[in-house]
Amino acid sequence: MRILLIEDENHLREQITQQLQQQNLTIDAAADGEEGLFLGTEYPYDVAIIDLGLPKLSGIEVIEKLRKAGKEFPILILTARGRWQDKVEGLESGADDYLVKPFHIEELSARINALARRASGWSSSVLQCGPISLNPTSQQVTNNGVTLDLTAYEYRILHYLMLHSGQVLSKTELTDHIYEQDHDRDSNVIEVFIKRLRNKLDPDKTLNPIETLRGRGYRLTLSRDQ
Amino acid sequence: MTNKQQISLSNRLLLVVSLVLTAFLGVSAISLNNAFQTSAENAQHKRLKNYIYTILTAADFNNDGTIHMPEQFAEPEFSTPNSGLYAQITTGREIVWQSQSSLGLFIALPDHPGPSNEHFSTIELQNGSKLLNLAYGIVWENDNGKKFGYTINVAEDLNAIYQQKAGFQRSLWYWLGGTGLMLLIAQAFILRWGLRPLHDVTIDLHAIESGDKSRLSDNYPKELCQLTQNINTLLDHEQSRRERYKNSLADLAHSLKTPLSVFRGELDSNVEIEALRQSGHEQLDRISAMVDYQLQRAATEGKSNLLAPVSLAEIIYKILGTLDKVYRAKGVQCQCDIENDIYIHADKDDMYELLGNLLENAYKYCNSQTSIILQSLQNHIQIRIDDDGNGIPEHAQEDILKRGKRMDTQVEGHGLGLAIASDIIEAYGGEISLQDSYLGGAKFIIQLPKD
Repeated sequence: MRILLIEDENHLREQITQQLQQQNLTIDAAADGEEGLFLGTEYPYDVAIIDLGLPKLSGIEVIEKLRKAGKEFPILILTARGRWQDKVEGLESGADDYLVKPFHIEELSARINALARRASGWSSSVLQCGPISLNPTSQQVTNNGVTLDLTAYEYRILHYLMLHSGQVLSKTELTDHIYEQDHDRDSNVIEVFIKRLRNKLDPDKTLNPIETLRGRGYRLTLSRDQ
Repeated sequence: MTNKQQISLSNRLLLVVSLVLTAFLGVSAISLNNAFQTSAENAQHKRLKNYIYTILTAADFNNDGTIHMPEQFAEPEFSTPNSGLYAQITTGREIVWQSQSSLGLFIALPDHPGPSNEHFSTIELQNGSKLLNLAYGIVWENDNGKKFGYTINVAEDLNAIYQQKAGFQRSLWYWLGGTGLMLLIAQAFILRWGLRPLHDVTIDLHAIESGDKSRLSDNYPKELCQLTQNINTLLDHEQSRRERYKNSLADLAHSLKTPLSVFRGELDSNVEIEALRQSGHEQLDRISAMVDYQLQRAATEGKSNLLAPVSLAEIIYKILGTLDKVYRAKGVQCQCDIENDIYIHADKDDMYELLGNLLENAYKYCNSQTSIILQSLQNHIQIRIDDDGNGIPEHAQEDILKRGKRMDTQVEGHGLGLAIASDIIEAYGGEISLQDSYLGGAKFIIQLPKD
């Protein structure tokens, strides 16, 4: 899951980036409104976190421009003052939730996961497809209650596949949503990750959780249990 | 402040009044002078005509054309040399008769206006004096039917009339000048008296500046009352805001000391890093909540009629829109019964904070249902907010509404938002109370006074 973070305070930006990366989320960070708007319009994000008091372009303006450009990913605003007028204005301009500084990082990641879930039609906080269950808070994946040991990228791919279970996802799309903006990309690696995931999720080859649609991409076939 | 100092009110009035007065008196002087001159001239003309008739009545015409005149006239001036009143009867270029007063003064006058005609002219004598002369033509027919033409001239010295005119003008200027001066003095007194209250306001304001007084006195004339009352309202408002600033600053400094000393104690005694971290988080949360709360308290504007009226319904709908979005996953049902035309003289931010905190609590603690009622009662505006949550236990109810008094020991949950809300309500002279809701949870009733 790829997140856009626009925050001008260096310390806070680095802290959030680091802590969210530890939770296996893909983060692109921008230090001002203009850079943030550029990233937001250029790349496909699953959630954006936007501070309201930004240099060059205010948070509200960035949100309005993103929405005008047809970007529909959920947006969480951060506000230092916590004034209700700011919150109302932020949500009226197109944001979906707010968080008042200072906040706990757990609170932030819970809100991000909730927004991403809501955007892809999930209502429970733990994603459950057939016997496979993924908890974004603890990043724990289980198969029939047995914990699986996944690498960071395997987890990222599975998380994205489960969020969009039933949909066909191309290799490019998967690449886009698991790698940061300046990461070396090689879409062939996706095939390797998928193969490893299949082995880990379905060692007996009975479940066939991920199907390959030749030339189109991959699909998680297990139905959602909510 | 503009760089250009404007002319003072009393100088403006004085200037305008002086100009108007000068113009008025000047025009009056000119018209009075003209009227006097005309009437003096008319009087002179009339007098000269009367003299003509006197002479005609006195004259005895003989058949040979000679005229016999009496020695004495009713007007002694005709007999006194150089008296200023002269008469002459001519026929052609020949003097038939002349009054004793005019002997040696002038030769036969050339004016012959013809029978029954009169002609006024000004003549200048050799000695320099000016005369106004009336020439009047007559025809005398003797017993044989022979006609003789005469011209009667009566002349009066203009000096007298000039002197009269000069005298009149002098006294006119004295009187008008005197009147003008008196009016100006009166005007200055009237202005001083009339503008006295403004002067008093300045003195009052100076007294406030120097701290001798806290507000303007109430006994100003009604034209100024609106202004002075507004200034007083502003002063009171500022005063209470200053106090709130001071209080919240003092409270903040004071309340921060508790978590700081708790954590310092932990640092000194605790060796286990996990417990220390836990305690650090707790104290930081407390500090953060206190900063939020005191900041909000300091920022509260408070009641003032000088603030523009804000629509409560508009604010409520905006906040509900925000909350519906944020709590979409919870699927909260909010029943609204809102009068749309309720306005209150209040700071928009204050109302946003008040309603935002209360409504967010309702959304946060309800199971699925909330309701909000906004209505205008006789003397106040009532807001009722209900939820179907677990409600607030009776023993906690009093604490929760006691505006932030227990803030340094209790910050979680309902506490902070409600403490902020009850502070704002108090700043507006309103009341908040807590009851059991018909929905099963808590019911908050807020009363805000109308103006």
